[in-house]
Amino acid sequence: MSNKLLLAAVLALGAAPVLGQEFTPTRPVEVVVHTGPGGGSDVLARAVALMIEKEKLLPVRMQVANKTGGGGAVAAAYLAEKKGESHTIGFLTGVWLTNPLTSEKANVTLKDLTPIARLVLEPAVIAVKADAPYKTLADFVNAAKQNPGQLKQSGGSITSRDNVVRQQIQQVSGARWAYISFPGGAERIAALLGGHVNMMVIEPAEAGEHIRAGNMRVLAQVTESRLAAFPNVPTLKEAGFNVTPVPQVRGVVAPPGIPRENVAYWEGVFRKLSQTESWKKFLADNQFEDGFQGATDLVKFYDEFSNQMRGILKEAGIKVVR
Amino acid sequence: MKRFGGDFWSGLALGALGAYIVLEASGWEYLGPDGPGPGFFPLWYGIAMAGLSLWLIVSSVLRAQPEAVDWSGARRALVTWVALALAVAAFKLVGFLAAFTALAFFLVAMMYRRPPAKAAVVALCITAGFYVVFPLALGVKLP
Amino acid sequence: MDVLSGLIQGFAVALQPVNLLWCFLGVLLGTVVGVMPGLGPPATIAMLLPLTFLMSPAAAMIMLAGIYYGAKYGGSTTAILLNVPGESASVVTCLDGYQMARKGRAGPALGIAAIASFIAGTVGVLGLMLVAPPLARMALAFSSPEYFGLMALGLAMVVLLAGRSMVKALLAMLLGLWIAGIGTDLFSTTDRFTFGQLELLSGVDFIVVAIGVFALGEVLACMEPRTEAQALPVPRGLRNLLPTMQDLKDSRFAFANGSILGFLIGVLPGAGSTIASFISYGVEKAVSRRPEHFGKGAVEGVAAPEAANNSETGGALVPMLTLGIPGSSTTAILLAALVLWGFKPGPLFIPENPALFWGLVASMYVGNLMLLVLNLPLVPAFAQVLRTPAYILYPVIIGISIVGVYSASGSMLDLFLLAGFGLLGYLMRKLDYPAAPLILGLVLGGAMERALRQSLMMSEGSLSILVTRPISAVMLSLALLILLIPLFGKLNAWRLRALE
Repeated sequence: MSNKLLLAAVLALGAAPVLGQEFTPTRPVEVVVHTGPGGGSDVLARAVALMIEKEKLLPVRMQVANKTGGGGAVAAAYLAEKKGESHTIGFLTGVWLTNPLTSEKANVTLKDLTPIARLVLEPAVIAVKADAPYKTLADFVNAAKQNPGQLKQSGGSITSRDNVVRQQIQQVSGARWAYISFPGGAERIAALLGGHVNMMVIEPAEAGEHIRAGNMRVLAQVTESRLAAFPNVPTLKEAGFNVTPVPQVRGVVAPPGIPRENVAYWEGVFRKLSQTESWKKFLADNQFEDGFQGATDLVKFYDEFSNQMRGILKEAGIKVVR
Repeated sequence: MKRFGGDFWSGLALGALGAYIVLEASGWEYLGPDGPGPGFFPLWYGIAMAGLSLWLIVSSVLRAQPEAVDWSGARRALVTWVALALAVAAFKLVGFLAAFTALAFFLVAMMYRRPPAKAAVVALCITAGFYVVFPLALGVKLP
Repeated sequence: MDVLSGLIQGFAVALQPVNLLWCFLGVLLGTVVGVMPGLGPPATIAMLLPLTFLMSPAAAMIMLAGIYYGAKYGGSTTAILLNVPGESASVVTCLDGYQMARKGRAGPALGIAAIASFIAGTVGVLGLMLVAPPLARMALAFSSPEYFGLMALGLAMVVLLAGRSMVKALLAMLLGLWIAGIGTDLFSTTDRFTFGQLELLSGVDFIVVAIGVFALGEVLACMEPRTEAQALPVPRGLRNLLPTMQDLKDSRFAFANGSILGFLIGVLPGAGSTIASFISYGVEKAVSRRPEHFGKGAVEGVAAPEAANNSETGGALVPMLTLGIPGSSTTAILLAALVLWGFKPGPLFIPENPALFWGLVASMYVGNLMLLVLNLPLVPAFAQVLRTPAYILYPVIIGISIVGVYSASGSMLDLFLLAGFGLLGYLMRKLDYPAAPLILGLVLGGAMERALRQSLMMSEGSLSILVTRPISAVMLSLALLILLIPLFGKLNAWRLRALE
């Protein structure tokens, strides 16, 4: 019963003035994410829903729906099924692009959905435990060369950025170290702090607290230019490893076959969001980069990203099916 | 001709499943460059499953008397199950409310031999109760 | 930090009327959510997140944590009354709780579950308060090989859960392992046993199997007799609806065992409440002087898993608050909530936000007390459910099972799977295969395979890593010891006698 009351309260909050556009949503918008509650996309979607509510950018409420599984394949297939539905959007990540490259079952690619906008690029840093002997990335790579296969890195699945960064550095340096997959970000950090692995690729905001507490040290940042929070840490290129940093991308898609004005409407909503103060504060808090791109640019990005990933995966000996 | 009991047949079924697991698992990578592949773990529990079911089959054949299982009521249970499966299949066509009312009516009228009128009332009340508690009060979607 | 002054500061926060109100609202909602199968704390907390921005962070944290531990109280209700596990950790409670209900002791079962939850919940908070930071450091010593040892120890419990035939128990467990393996392989993105179904890529949801095998299997078995089964006996009078002194005496070791084990396992980020409840049930049975009562309505068999399940909450908050490492989906979303409120969870969180931490700790003492007061009077009311005539009760159980599964996933395929597992549960019952090992294999299978493969990645394929690391070596030896129990003649005789 109290649940219903709370729901009513939330509904009342969401009632904001209607925007003067050709298309406006008339009922709650379903936001599809591919992670469970608490996962990266889920948290971003909920934060976006809050900011949109606060800035009154939508006349209706946004409801997050978790369609987990298959590395985004289930969420993508769900969106594809909702053909022509104008009250559903989804939050994509780079996994939605890489997963179809390696999994035959994931037969819905982003090309089958309607692109809306790219929102953020998440940088990353390479971190080791504070008491590790490696002061620079070169120290680590040299140690890996001297003890082939002895050093270890913790990360996500083999198609994740963590492994891509590893493959890139291995290719330019000729060193080799082991890669241990952990499904949750928490376990990766626990493995590093417990001394079970030697290195990990981590998001700067996550690393920040452990650095402040003196548990971790950052060797390099996986970015084109130095982040404001790490002015003294070299980028990969500055550290002497000539690789193109792969960003973790997050954006918005809609089901296939929705009218043009709907695309314009959603693109407009997210463009406005990206200019608000709440959004800028959110990016700064999480040390994300503003990666806003409209629908047309996003399509170009798909191809660039997929081609880059295809090359990296092939060189790493991972079977590419598309 | 000796009659085989439940142990024999369930052993056979599980043995077949074990063989299927081993067959599938042997098609996947066992050891890859970064460690054990997807076929590593299933291969071992598949073998264990096949082995244990073989044991079950052999011991059931060797036993003089098949173990006694009372199957006399099974028909009623299976009828109930078929009704349930049909109702689930019907959710997509006619929705939860109609299909579930029909299922409840069937159970009360046919399985428990209540008069049809009473069964109809009971079925409608149960479904209405679900409708009030879940979608209305808790905001949970029904199939 | 001085615990006493911290606690005084905490109670100053927790006892503010508005915070008391949120705490009450949280535990009440938690109880409701726990009673409903399928609808779990993560989804509820996620749904309420927008609302928390109108509250102070302390009040919000107090309420959300209330949902988390409140749900653990509610989970046992449907398990005991209807054999429908409300959440994963309640599966073990079904084993003896439902048997107690069938013997007309539903009231004492519900009562003991509430009391065990209260005691263990309080022990969990005590642990969180006193030993959180050092314990979190110790938990970091656990990595994949140690988790493999822990999972193996859990699987060895199959021996204690077995019915007449050890072979059948092992086969049921292997079937569980197989079901756990369905879906996309985490490491290589290979699809395994998906039969071309896209929805199976994410695997078979645990709740589908548990509800199918336990609840629907039971319903089908109860449909058998042509003569209508009598409604379960519910004795009249309040005295018969609450646990007796003897019950409490029988359960005292179970309270302690469950509380401590549950807390310790909860601290490990990779374990979880289900394995905590299985292991404490196994320990309780192994050391019991009357193991023959287990599975037939032993009150300790309810007390131990319920205690473990509840003190696990306090344990699970340890790595989340002290290191920013969540161990379960609920703590993960609590962590996300902290980030959205503008906090920086991590090793410095407690020293920098003492009022929030101690307020939360104090509110958990208060909340556990509220839950006890809230739940004990409900026991007689809930026990009346069993008076419902069978022709109404069973359709309702079927309905709850369907809605519970659908609300968890929103998938039609899951409903077909539910029907399938119902049939499996019925056949297993007929053919004398125990159901608990199936669930055990299913719960531990995924984590066990992952831990094994991670261990072998660490050691470059050498199995020696599992025995050269002391903690995993100890646990594997314990597991082996438990598995070998049936081989020792004397112990075997004891086991067989226990089953008669």
